[in-house]
This record gives sequence, C-alpha cells and structure tokens, in this order.
Amino acid sequence: MISYEFLTTQKIEEALNYLDKFSKVHILAGGTDLLVNLYKESPRLPHFDYLLDISSIPELKVINSINNFIEIGPLVTHFRLINEPLIKNNFPVLMEAAYTIGSTQIRNRGTIGGNIVNASPAADLLPPLITLRAEVELTSRQGKRVLALEEFLAGPYKTKLQANELLTKIKIPLLGDNYYTDFQKIGRRKALSIARLSLALVTKIDEEGIFQDTRVAPGSATPYPQSLPLTEEAINGISIFQINLEEIGNIISKEMVSITGERWSTPYKKPTIAVLIKRALEKIIKEAKNNE
Amino acid sequence: MNKITVTFIINGKEVTLKVGPKERLLDTLREQLKLTGTKEGCSVGECGACTVILDGKAVSSCLILTGQIGGSEVLTVEGLEVDGNLDSLQKAFIDCHAIQCGFCTPGMLISAKALLIHNPHPSREEIKTALEGNLCRCTGYEQIIEAIESAANK
Repeated sequence: MISYEFLTTQKIEEALNYLDKFSKVHILAGGTDLLVNLYKESPRLPHFDYLLDISSIPELKVINSINNFIEIGPLVTHFRLINEPLIKNNFPVLMEAAYTIGSTQIRNRGTIGGNIVNASPAADLLPPLITLRAEVELTSRQGKRVLALEEFLAGPYKTKLQANELLTKIKIPLLGDNYYTDFQKIGRRKALSIARLSLALVTKIDEEGIFQDTRVAPGSATPYPQSLPLTEEAINGISIFQINLEEIGNIISKEMVSITGERWSTPYKKPTIAVLIKRALEKIIKEAKNNE
Repeated sequence: MNKITVTFIINGKEVTLKVGPKERLLDTLREQLKLTGTKEGCSVGECGACTVILDGKAVSSCLILTGQIGGSEVLTVEGLEVDGNLDSLQKAFIDCHAIQCGFCTPGMLISAKALLIHNPHPSREEIKTALEGNLCRCTGYEQIIEAIESAANK
C-alpha cells in the first residue's frame, strides 16, 4: 500500500523549503502519469513519504520571450503549447508533438515539465526539445543551475534532478533564419497512443540549398531520447537537390541499432525509422523549394 | 495520513470538504458529494467516462487529486441541467439517439460542453478531436457527433 502525506503550495520558495526540509518527496504537477502509477501501484514509482503538489504555483505557468530565448514554465500544459503564438510561430515542431499527446483531457492537464522529468523513452516532447537545444533551469535553496536537456536526461525514467531541486524553467534558443522543423510519430491509433516510434528533425537550409546544423532525435528508438550525431553529420553539407534519402535511411537505421543492439523490436523499428527520416526530409525539402 | 481541507465550487455551489491524500476528484464527486453521474471506467485516463470540466477545461477526474483543486470550479453532468431544463446538448443526445447503454454519456456530454464553451460552432473534425479521449462501445460515435452538431447549430 502506498501511503504519504500531501503537501501543496502556491509559492516556489515554499516548495523549495519543503524539498529541503523533508526527505523522500515526490513532486506532483499535472498528474497524468503519476496518478496512473499510483492507481496501478507501479513498481516504476519510487518510494516516497510526501507528495508535493506544485500544480497551482502561478510563476511556473508563464511563457516569456527573453533576449534570444523563449522561456517556458514547467507547468505549461500541452494544450497551451499547441495554442500559444510564441510556441506556434517559433517552434512548430514542439507544437506538432504536443498535439499528438494523449487526448483533449490529457493535453489539458499534462505539463511540459512533467514530460521532461518523467523522462519516458516514449516522451513525445523530448525529441523536439532535444533538437531545439532546450536547456533546463533547476532551482534549489542553494541556487540555480542550467543544464542542456540532453545532459539532464540520465537514462530511461532517470534525470539528474537532485532531491532538493525543482525544474523551474525550460529555455529554448530561437532558431535563426532558414531553419526548418518536422515531427513524425507512429502510434497504434491516433488518439491516446504511446509513440511506437517518433522523430524530430530541425535543420537549416542555406541560400545554396545546403543542409547545415542538422539535429535529429528519435523517440521510442533508444533507451531514452538522444540525438543521433552520425545521421546529423551525414545530412550536413549535402544539397537538397542531391540528397540520397535511401542512404540517409540506412545510416539512421544503423546508428539506432548501434545504440540499442538487436532487440525483439529491431526488425520493425529498423526500416520504420528510415521511413520517418525520409518523410521528415521530404517534407522539409518541399517547403524549402517552395520558399525559393 | 493527513486529511486536507479543500474549498472549491461544484456546479455553482461552494463546498468545503476534508479529503484524504489519495482521494481523487472522481472519488470525492461520487462518494462524498454523491454526484454519481460521473462514471469510473478505466481509472487511468483513457476512457473519458470520468470527464468533468475543471476551470473551463475537460479533464479526467481520475487523474486529479482533490487536494490539488482548492479555489477551482468544477462542472459535472449534474450541473448541465438548469432549473429543471435540460441543456441543449442533453436534448440533442436524446433527439439523435446518441445513447445506448449510457455509461459513456456523462463524459461525452461534458467533453462536448467544454468544446462548445470555447467554440460554439465547431467543425466535424473539431468535434472528433474533442471526443478523442471518450470511448463508446455501443453507438459507433456517429449519433453522438450528430447530436453535438445539432446542439451547436441551435
């Protein structure tokens, strides 16, 4: 039987004091993952004595444009990611991924911070956030530190969040001119499906039509979401008029398998990830040609 | 385990309740407030039978602890009827035969209500998106979508 004391607050300061004062505190935000794990008494849920509800801290719900960054509060829901002009206009790849999450009810409640800290291998927002080079701001009573998201993720369902720290901001640098993005996802059905495989792609196409600064991160492909540097390098420097999509497909399949090894799902995922990168590149190339 | 005192508005009336740390909004509605229109289906946020409107948005009441909702406003299927008059959605569900066993109906009505609050004239696609988290194993959805279209056109 899971048993705990319930704590709630509307202030970051008070939340940090609780984290400092008590040990074995689990944080509750939107609850769309945690309440399922509680109900199922999931073994994935670590033992905790206190449940700290942060869902009504207003400061953690803000979206701001500051210098060359968009700063997103961790309590921003998937619904807001889809509807906020700052996200839609700057990071359509994040908006598209948020749109594929769960159902209306889940998107109204689930949060970007929860998706990050839960660190599921199938987390829909992690591939786009990795390709957007997102950073996370972690705050404790001792101060703040900022980590690249990819560095923050430490394994399946594992992050580098310390017991006394709270995720207080997600910072995403604005993309410059000539950047293109795309998100692909395959699930068993459209609504409410966990990604069987997903892929986020961010890339720049210069005036000559050459790919630069390409970033590729798949979801549900590796033990936890991470970028694929060999695939990125293979795309960089190639012209949109000459790229061999079959070859890029082979490279990404090989790179994925080099990380995961041969698994029961490999015969499905190996050709499928090649299809996803081809679809994403085809879409971006078409857009770039239309913009010429 | 500590009890938590929570004050919130349910169907227009303010209530103050003592709730347990593991008590879900669904439990409070059904067991403390005896509002059994809200149904428990899957308990993991996939079927939509427990959908309520929380501060204007459709949410799964099985995925919310009541301790979290102090100061919020909740609307359940019981709150749709005003002074003995059914909501236009309720009438449309009856007129279009959008009900068979009835278990999903409260959740369907609430998801539809949440949609119409923000978007009084939704397209068919928007209706489908609003209902994507509500499962019905009897009607095949067609009559439900028709009922919502007909309520929206009134």
